[in-house]
Amino acid sequence: MAREMMPGRRRFTAGSVGADLLILLWFVFSLFPIVWMVLLALKTRSQQTSTYFAFSPTLENFGTVMSRRGEDLTSVNFSGALLSSVLNCGGAVLVSLLIGIPAAYAAGRWKYRGSEDLMFQMLSFRFAPELMVVVPLFVIYNQTGLFDTTYGMIWVLQLVTMPLVVWILRSYFQDLSPELEQAALLDGYTRRRAFVMVALPLVRPGIAAAALLAFIFAWNNYVFPLILTDSEATTVTVAVTKFLGGGGQAYYNLTAAAALIGALPPLVLALTIQRYLVRGLSFGAVKA
Amino acid sequence: MATLELEGVTTRYGKVVGVEDLELTVGDGEFFVVLGPSGAGKTTTLKSVAGLVDMDAGRVSIGGRDMGGVEPYHRNVAMAFESYALYPQKTVFENLASPLRSGRTGTYDKAEQSKRIELVTTTLGINHLLKRFPRELSNGQRQRVALGRVLVRPADVYLLDEPLSHLDAKLRAAMRAELKQLGEDSSTTSLYVTHDYQEALDLGERIAVLRHGRLVQVGTPEQIWREPADTFVAKALGQPEINLLDGEVTGGRIVAAGGAVSLPVPSGVDVGDRVRVGLRPRDLDRADADPDGGAHRAGAERLHLRGRVHLAERLGRLVELSIEVGDTEIIMVAGSDHAPGEGDVIDMAIDLADVHLFAPGAPGEETARLGSGRPR
Repeated sequence: MAREMMPGRRRFTAGSVGADLLILLWFVFSLFPIVWMVLLALKTRSQQTSTYFAFSPTLENFGTVMSRRGEDLTSVNFSGALLSSVLNCGGAVLVSLLIGIPAAYAAGRWKYRGSEDLMFQMLSFRFAPELMVVVPLFVIYNQTGLFDTTYGMIWVLQLVTMPLVVWILRSYFQDLSPELEQAALLDGYTRRRAFVMVALPLVRPGIAAAALLAFIFAWNNYVFPLILTDSEATTVTVAVTKFLGGGGQAYYNLTAAAALIGALPPLVLALTIQRYLVRGLSFGAVKA
Repeated sequence: MATLELEGVTTRYGKVVGVEDLELTVGDGEFFVVLGPSGAGKTTTLKSVAGLVDMDAGRVSIGGRDMGGVEPYHRNVAMAFESYALYPQKTVFENLASPLRSGRTGTYDKAEQSKRIELVTTTLGINHLLKRFPRELSNGQRQRVALGRVLVRPADVYLLDEPLSHLDAKLRAAMRAELKQLGEDSSTTSLYVTHDYQEALDLGERIAVLRHGRLVQVGTPEQIWREPADTFVAKALGQPEINLLDGEVTGGRIVAAGGAVSLPVPSGVDVGDRVRVGLRPRDLDRADADPDGGAHRAGAERLHLRGRVHLAERLGRLVELSIEVGDTEIIMVAGSDHAPGEGDVIDMAIDLADVHLFAPGAPGEETARLGSGRPR
């Protein structure tokens, strides 16, 4: 029994080799752009268009991007954009959690007339193309002074983060037996304390997954910061493209370096709470 | 300690009926059992008392106080859930301490909490598990922790939802005795839900039988057993199930099973021209091998039957016999000493007082009891 469980010597058949080759091909196809980006980020400007693999790598681009030199070249304050990305997305996720957790709990526990419609309405924010709403938002933001502010970005990113948080956490709360909170009520605890003491600790994995997914979605958002910010609250996604320059001044190597730096925060976050992530993506469809 | 009254309690889940127009009065300190098959509304009854479900109509009073609009945490009731509902992130000790720490069941300092938990876990035989988490326990152990979380605290009413269902047979018998003792000692008003008729007969001071959310009969175990309100109650109690034979009334006698069963129409029972005759398998005695007739009352009039053993199933000390009697088959339980073999013809007898007469009905239809076979 135990021996069968051991990874023994594999038998090679035409089928298994073919399958492995296909997987390999897929890996190359999907990872090559990333490899190319890493290589590009290590090249100097004179080498940036060469497809020759042998070159003298340099880390100089990363320094340029993060410092004033990059700003002088392209008028982009990339480190500033990085900071405002963190503030915008962190703020957006925090607000979404503060409002979304109680909302998800209520939606998961109580059925009332139109409750499903309400949930669908919330999800439909994710169906609508962002470009559709962004023009009226631009007008509103300009008139209310929310344009190019962190508040404004946190506010608009709710469209991205709130539906995710509510939908993911609702499924977690639904998986939780309501009898747990009922037991707490009969133990003499109020509904609020039953929620905090019993339900909340049990959905911590869900909160981690929802927060991370929401953060990544917010971080990768491009349209809202592109239209609704200028320089003060602009984000990494927008800043990266500035290195492509306007009038023929394209810094592909700097663009690649900036994109790599910009990909780091969500990557690090994802790796730290990876084990919650798959469960979160399945939206609670499977029992843990 | 308090009386518990349910008046016209109706609880529905959408269109599905949980309980309908339920009337119960449970006396102070009474151990009251609610018996019924799954889906009969037993759990709904408990949750209506606890205030965990919204009632559509009716009134629940505890200690004479109307519980309408009273939150569950103000009702001072304790409940053991069938699903255990133990807090997964807390140890057994913390689970048991939870009701003592809420401040609504009385105030207990640390020492007193430990003392109470020690006492209840020793009784339940789980005092070696205090540091474990619920996921590290067997179902039987979890069930005892759930029971412990109820017993650890004083309450006006204990609500117990199938608290023994997941224990193995031996432990269940032991726990049943334990629970009976606990019930007598604490004399807390208890509403105990079960689908096991033996538990109900053993534990209940009174029993309510539920079916499809409606109350069928309330009575002492003796009443429920001796005078079941209808065929449903009669079938719910006793294993194997009661034999029901369709009979006709001709010439002052009730005749069933193609003439093999024949008894006089008892005076004082209003039978029409058709009845159902109910014979409990354990009330039937061997009239031939066992001349004393077991426990039958001396001088009582008896119904005699003869039949051929079709199937004999040994169940340890007892043997379950399927017997062809006339054109039908009835089940009886006999001692396994000198038990007849398959194919043997045997004589049986049953006290007329133990013969139940029910109104006639189609197969599967439940009909009311008319009386016993003994003339009044």
